[in-house]
Amino acid sequence: MFEPFTDIVPSFFGWLNQGPLTLTIFLHSFIVLPMFWIYKQEKNRLENEK
Amino acid sequence: MANKSVWSDNRFWQRSAAWVTGFAAILLIWLTFDTSGQISMGSDADLKNGVTKRVPGPTVINYKITYEMDTKRGHEVPVIGAKEKFFGRDDYSEKEAGDLLHLGKLGSQAKNCMDCHTLLGNGAYYAPDLTKAWLDPAWESTGSMQAMTGKNTKEEAMAEFLQFPSKYPTHARMMPNLGITAAEAKGLVAFLKHMSSIDTNGFPRNFGKIQGALNGK
Repeated sequence: MFEPFTDIVPSFFGWLNQGPLTLTIFLHSFIVLPMFWIYKQEKNRLENEK
Repeated sequence: MANKSVWSDNRFWQRSAAWVTGFAAILLIWLTFDTSGQISMGSDADLKNGVTKRVPGPTVINYKITYEMDTKRGHEVPVIGAKEKFFGRDDYSEKEAGDLLHLGKLGSQAKNCMDCHTLLGNGAYYAPDLTKAWLDPAWESTGSMQAMTGKNTKEEAMAEFLQFPSKYPTHARMMPNLGITAAEAKGLVAFLKHMSSIDTNGFPRNFGKIQGALNGK
């Protein structure tokens, strides 16, 4: 999954982009995971409203 | 009243949309600065101190550029080597080299090279891709193009061809005479030499394997 960094100019995105889909998987996880947290918060709020 | 689903609750969608939009906005701003760093041109000092830059400084025209396979990266990369004379000189200052590149860039725009050629991924594929044209072995001392122009160096051969393309039948599609002057031709060749030194992550793909080209059969 992690490969040695070979890009010519060091960069965080370059490091993430070294393997197949690593940048895509990282960014999608980072965007989707907090939505579970938002979902749980809203669910609790709706339950407490009842 | 039945349980209200989170999925039909406005607030959940509002917060999700705000999160996705906000995160994407921050990411794009970050990427913009990251890209600026990646594509900013190096300096003469970088070249002298061996600092690798994707886009080397203009004085790279004082050096020999080769195209070598990088097994780790899986494609060829331009390698800046020892000093090499360019139109008889290898001591162009940063200002002189920069002015030459600027003249070449303006020339390439004025003569609309991209109408037929591709430069760094932009342009047409009617005529050969010029991104790595400087590294094309046809322009080397043993190459057919240099032999045809009767010049002794790569840069002089290229400049001669650019000024009088209709004199030298090359491609099935011949280049028209664009009225390029000697000074403009020198600038254009400098522009092409500098462009070939840009690390384009191996673009154009398989340039080295094209028949008759670098490392080709």
